[in-house]
Amino acid sequence: MAEVLAEGYNVFDTSKSPSGTVKYLFSPADVISLIQSGKLAEHILLVRGGTTTFLAPALSMGAIGVITMSGAPESHLGILSREFQTPCVMTAYLTDSESRYVVGDTDEAHFEEIAKALDGRRVRLDCTDHEVGRVVADD
Amino acid sequence: MTTTEGKRATYKQRYSEGDDGLRFQELTYTGNFVGMEPVTDGIKGDKMMKARAKSGVLERVSREDVLRDQFTIDELNDLNNYLAWNIWDVLVMRATEGVSGMIPRQEYEILAFMHEFYRWPEILRMTTDEVGGGQGIMDIGATARREIGTKVNAVHDWCIGAVGFGMGRCGLLALEAIKPDDYIEESNEILKFMQRVLWGKRQDGYILNSQDRYRCRIHEPDFIAQLTPQLEALEAGSPKHSAFTQFNAAAELLSFLDHYDCRLGLGDTGPYELPDGQLLILRDLFVNEEVFHWSDVCEDAGLPHCYTLALVIDPEKMGLEEIRVNDISTTFTRPKNYIEAITAGAVFVREKWNTPMGEVYPVKIDDLAEHLGRVQTATLKLYTKTSKMCRRDLIWNGQYVYYVDMILPHLRLAGTYDKACRDYDLWEIDQRIANYYYDITKRGFAQETVPSKIFSGAGYLPFSDNADRRRSKYRWL
Repeated sequence: MAEVLAEGYNVFDTSKSPSGTVKYLFSPADVISLIQSGKLAEHILLVRGGTTTFLAPALSMGAIGVITMSGAPESHLGILSREFQTPCVMTAYLTDSESRYVVGDTDEAHFEEIAKALDGRRVRLDCTDHEVGRVVADD
Repeated sequence: MTTTEGKRATYKQRYSEGDDGLRFQELTYTGNFVGMEPVTDGIKGDKMMKARAKSGVLERVSREDVLRDQFTIDELNDLNNYLAWNIWDVLVMRATEGVSGMIPRQEYEILAFMHEFYRWPEILRMTTDEVGGGQGIMDIGATARREIGTKVNAVHDWCIGAVGFGMGRCGLLALEAIKPDDYIEESNEILKFMQRVLWGKRQDGYILNSQDRYRCRIHEPDFIAQLTPQLEALEAGSPKHSAFTQFNAAAELLSFLDHYDCRLGLGDTGPYELPDGQLLILRDLFVNEEVFHWSDVCEDAGLPHCYTLALVIDPEKMGLEEIRVNDISTTFTRPKNYIEAITAGAVFVREKWNTPMGEVYPVKIDDLAEHLGRVQTATLKLYTKTSKMCRRDLIWNGQYVYYVDMILPHLRLAGTYDKACRDYDLWEIDQRIANYYYDITKRGFAQETVPSKIFSGAGYLPFSDNADRRRSKYRWL
């Protein structure tokens, strides 16, 4: 069984199981740069927030999978990833870490730890469970 | 389908009187009911809130009730409590979404909440007067029964009371700018306007979808019958199904972006049961709001004011257990993924907000590719444009989306929008709100204090039992 690196809310259950290299997107310039590179389909996108606007062009142009560090299926990004049928794991936490996202009480270290652990890793998203989405190592 | 094959649809059980519905979340609500059993989400939560009301305002109310100009203090408090729960019900999970990375939404939201509470009452009163009183406002609500592509919809109408009154008053209480018994007359003005629009739209005695087990079946049957002949059959996995669902997603995304990442760009109604037992959702996607200056990129891309999608969902195919069209016009189901259960669809175009219904036209699904291209072009341009804006512009633009757009459709239909701009300085920023701009980023006010008060329900303080209903605010001490 492949190693589960992270878990979070599964936005919608699907047999789609996209794989790719995790790309951490920090700023709108990162998003635009990725789209212009033509390599959007090679990456699972990792973002901090669960809002829609930040990832808007990436979703519109065919993002294959998304991991967020906050938010829930009821968040705008959750709603839109369902509509696009883009597998999405929200409020992901590392399975080998005790750190968890708490609204209004989460320090930078939490986000940095996740970004450091996942950015650049080759992963696959497992979104078959009703509630839990999994980020699985695909090295 | 992946995990629902073989399961029978049970969603109709949700409409039995004794049914409490499913739980969509594990959290519970307390609000002003400290020491009592915590309130759940969904149908059970609605029942609990109604049971705790002191007045009959949360039950079906009559036209005469709605036309009466003043709520009692008990009615005001019941509405305050119910709206606070309803806000929690629809937004508590959304509120976990954290930073945008693009638009400072929490900051613009709190400024808009407070601005609305201060400024809307006299504009809504003027509008009520201009249309001849309460019946005129109910008639504005009723127009939505025979239209698509109209912003007189659940989310806008709900926002009048839930946001302008509920969250606005909550924010000002948290800022200690007002006390619980300030602005009672103004609160009444806002809530009466909301009640009248919603009652006129629903015409079943309720005002909110949550009171009716999350149904928003407002359209007249003969009006629905004019739309359904345009439905085209869609087979899951087929190119046509993909073209329809991709367009739905892309247009919905742009509608969010044009409205600064808020739900005002989206309007679902339904579910309407079709003769063959399938469910119809009508979805308005407002991809080009002409009053926003940044929407010029949508205009340049040749986009209309609104695309309306008719989505037909097969409840048996997905083993549907519950469907909610909530009060911010968004559809959620259990199981969550309804996209693969879409069996038919149609797309309609309303070019301008006031295009007559007779001139709304359908677009064949085979012709959607060209429209999708326009949507994608506008999305990328609007994103690039937005990414270059400074924080202050983003905050005030977002503030306008809430403060103007939430009442814009009602003012347009009343013919009072121009008067509100000219005589009431609608697009000006009140000096009090301008000053709050500097306060909201201190001590985590916008990002922690207000969200916790709003989404926990702890900030919706009741009016005193013996408060004077005529009371405004007279002392700044």
